[in-house]
Amino acid sequence: MTNIETKKELNKEFRDVKYILTSSMRAKLLLAVYEIPKNLDELRNELKKPSATILHGLKELETINLVRKAQKYYELTSNGYLLTTNMIKLIENWYALGKSEAFWDNHDLTDIPDDIIKNIYLLKNAEYVNSTTSDLSIAFNSYIDLISKATKLQIILPIYSENHFKHIIDLLNKNKLDELDLILSDEIYKSINNNELFKEELLENKKVKITVIKHNLKIFLTSSEEFMSLTLFFKDGHYDDSQILIGKDKNALKWAENLMKYYGG
Amino acid sequence: MYNHNEINNDIRFLAQSEIRLKILSELYKRPDDVRGLVKKTKITYSSVSSNINKLEENNYIRKVEKKYYLNHMAKVYLKALMDFKRSVDIINNYDSFWNRHNISQLSLDSMKNITDLKNAQLIETTPLDIYKTHNATKNQLIESKDVKAIFPYLHPEYPKIIETILKNGGSVKLIVPKTIFKAMMTPVSSKVKNAAIKQGKLKVYTVTSDLNLYLTICDGKMSLGLFKNDGSFDQNRILISNDESSHQWAEELFKHVKNMVIK
Repeated sequence: MTNIETKKELNKEFRDVKYILTSSMRAKLLLAVYEIPKNLDELRNELKKPSATILHGLKELETINLVRKAQKYYELTSNGYLLTTNMIKLIENWYALGKSEAFWDNHDLTDIPDDIIKNIYLLKNAEYVNSTTSDLSIAFNSYIDLISKATKLQIILPIYSENHFKHIIDLLNKNKLDELDLILSDEIYKSINNNELFKEELLENKKVKITVIKHNLKIFLTSSEEFMSLTLFFKDGHYDDSQILIGKDKNALKWAENLMKYYGG
Repeated sequence: MYNHNEINNDIRFLAQSEIRLKILSELYKRPDDVRGLVKKTKITYSSVSSNINKLEENNYIRKVEKKYYLNHMAKVYLKALMDFKRSVDIINNYDSFWNRHNISQLSLDSMKNITDLKNAQLIETTPLDIYKTHNATKNQLIESKDVKAIFPYLHPEYPKIIETILKNGGSVKLIVPKTIFKAMMTPVSSKVKNAAIKQGKLKVYTVTSDLNLYLTICDGKMSLGLFKNDGSFDQNRILISNDESSHQWAEELFKHVKNMVIK
């Protein structure tokens, strides 16, 4: 047997997490009264459970001070509200990861810091696009499509790709794109600098702001006012141009902004 | 596909067993064999090994030459779960701070990022030191060059403090109720005030709606106070922190309140 002290400690460490997350009744009740207080009838109709079960769950939540009863209506306490907000975040984090699991699972995520990973729920409406064996450039074409509509772009660019450069330069010259923030590793910067054309059109272009960082990044992140996109590297170190994650809502843009900020953008 | 309105079975599987969570968090830090895990966690060999099997069956870990490694996705999922755990810890550790207090002016984002306050310290007054909370924030304020504050009530010392900061060349940005604006700013020397306004170092936003929280950001140090549910400000508790993550948290909250109350 595991000794009692150890058990107690473990129990204490994870008690509430276990208590909330393993009972579907308790979790459902918290979610049910999250937006507005409800009475027993309303809860019974919503959860389709007998009164006794619901009352039992409510009693448990009252005991640990997550729910209180005020004139027949059950509502969250401030602790209950904080906890449920974070439980929803957990559920949404899980959802966002599960929804694009093939994307996250395929790639090296080490350059996405923990603080950004733990807010991956912000990407819950993002979708990933896959190239197929019959069309290898679906992901790339989606990307070019997105950036060609932008007037402002911020890009963490971890690869030296003439194909990408040419499209970007084209956009700059067509006057559609007014502002380009490029975050580059030292290595990529030097390579661009060694090419006369790219040096002139990118590094010396007034519309382009360059930020050079020491670290070789493994994220290709782009954001504009309308979209964000992310492509990554395989775990073996090779860049993957076949899968791109695209988000267009406010939350996705915020997620990208946080990651940009982290790398000095 | 996961339903995104409820706890799914994977979360439940992990949360069900403290032992599994403990093993996963140890393996997250460093891959290890069963013997090593037994030593680190003080859980019996048989428990460790049976839970290791379950985790392996469910594809959270894999064995490579006797040692167990977290799988790629398990790491990411575990981060999300541990973030939830830490948020619960912060709610519980500062229970007297949140409990029966009004949190309606905290933004949803600030609640979701509550773990940013992990290094905060709860300061409570004692019968021997009933001004402990006030003095703690006063000291932060007076020594600072760059102050942002939401003052929902007037403390008689505030005008003097504001004047001192401005005199020292610091900048002050305030959100205060319209009702206390005069009393707060009139005692501050006009000369100091006008010079500061000219240099863009003094900005006061007044609000007609209720302010339900107290927040100061002083050169990157933050302190936070709340109102009790009965409507009175809780002068006996304050959450203080000096680290960068709390600082960013407070900046976001300041921005949020500013956007909310200023038309």
